[in-house]
Amino acid sequence: MSTRKISLAALLFIFVYVLQEAFITQLHIAGGGFSLFLIFALLWAALSTPDIGALTGFVAGFLIDLSQSTNGAVGQWTFVLILVGFGISYLGLGYENVRMNPFTITLLVTSSVVAARVLYVLLSLLLGESVGNFTSIITSLLIGALWSAAIVPIVMPLVARAYDFIDDSRHRL
Amino acid sequence: MARGGENRGRLLLIILVITSLFLITLDLRGVSVISGLKTGTQSALSPVQNFGSTVLSPVRNFFSDVIHLGRTRSEMEALREENGKLLTQLRERRSIDAQLEQLQGALDLAGKAEFTVVSARVISQGATTSFTQTITIDAGSNNGIKPNMTVINSYGLIGVVKTVYPSSSLISLTSDPSFRIGVRVAGSQQIGILSGQGTRKGVLQLLDNQSTIKVGDILVARGSVNNRPFVPGVPVGEVTSVDNAAGAITQTADVRFFANFSALSVVTVVLKGPAVDPRDALIPAKPVPTPIPTVTVFVTPSQSPSPNSSGSN
Repeated sequence: MSTRKISLAALLFIFVYVLQEAFITQLHIAGGGFSLFLIFALLWAALSTPDIGALTGFVAGFLIDLSQSTNGAVGQWTFVLILVGFGISYLGLGYENVRMNPFTITLLVTSSVVAARVLYVLLSLLLGESVGNFTSIITSLLIGALWSAAIVPIVMPLVARAYDFIDDSRHRL
Repeated sequence: MARGGENRGRLLLIILVITSLFLITLDLRGVSVISGLKTGTQSALSPVQNFGSTVLSPVRNFFSDVIHLGRTRSEMEALREENGKLLTQLRERRSIDAQLEQLQGALDLAGKAEFTVVSARVISQGATTSFTQTITIDAGSNNGIKPNMTVINSYGLIGVVKTVYPSSSLISLTSDPSFRIGVRVAGSQQIGILSGQGTRKGVLQLLDNQSTIKVGDILVARGSVNNRPFVPGVPVGEVTSVDNAAGAITQTADVRFFANFSALSVVTVVLKGPAVDPRDALIPAKPVPTPIPTVTVFVTPSQSPSPNSSGSN
């Protein structure tokens, strides 16, 4: 990985993170809305190789842990997204195999969002944190899955282009 | 070569997982570097969130206008004739008026109870990555806010300060599923524990099995030692249904919170509670029903003209 690729990817991740924290959280979206940053990170991981997917999960998870709206211990989302990032890129078998099938990516990312949130709840329970009642968790997971399924096809072309651009810059270097 | 790449990938995965577990351990042990990182991030993001709140304010009004389009069609027709500048001013004014109304209500409540308060704008509404219900306000330790302070608005209790940053604070809402508060039924000494359910509805469990409650009973905060986390007397909600299940040890009831958590723009943090418990003085007065005048008209049918008298000639 070149310095330029890392810098560009880091800038993009920070931009989406700020977008999420400063703007998306301001909107009163039905059912609690969605996390654009989480979707973006998982899309990025889906287009990457497994080791880059895990690294992406680490960075994204750490940023989510630093968010003021995350109540769990710092490192919880990092741990969850390392596993999910690795898993999604492993299942997608890299960029070449999944990029021609938007439906597969949508399904993969939506399932990963749900899986990440379920893992987070389980980890919170293990750490003795209060996560709410069963009904509210299930409702939140279902609504989150629906929002993800709606948002992924919209942001997928942009993320794929950004990934292409940054990947090409690596080759140019 | 391929095996070498695989091994390197696995090694990276293991290192990352160990690092994350290390972070969790450090945070749970209360290492200041980790909390410092979080505070630093929040301090850096706070101005951007303020900017986002200001920028998105007209957009929120726009969505509100679209929702009420049918009801205010005639108003919308008139507004279309006005120029863009006036329309923008009107939208901004609406937002400010709504905030002013909420602020005035909260200050009235605080003034009546002799609370020392600081008001703040809501700059963020939780996140889907967290299963808890929180908001972020644009006032923090620089404004005298400390953890475990009561947060109210014009309708009553909103929540409690959970985490404080220099220029912002995270508030845990009363609707949060993990939220518990000791309450008292207004006008009596009956006490119970009210739990959030993730919606505007809460569940009350009375502590005394001899106590009874009824629909319409108002609940107020019981208050805590040194007024933290809860100052006494703040209205919380109203009983909407009572569960009289046979065999239950204590009575339970559904409660509707007074505050509407989906429309919060300005809230007030109680810095110092009252010297004397205000008891039931803060409960909002029930609206007085206005009699609607009715007019009864008696109509006596007149005799219809006979066909012979009209059709003769």
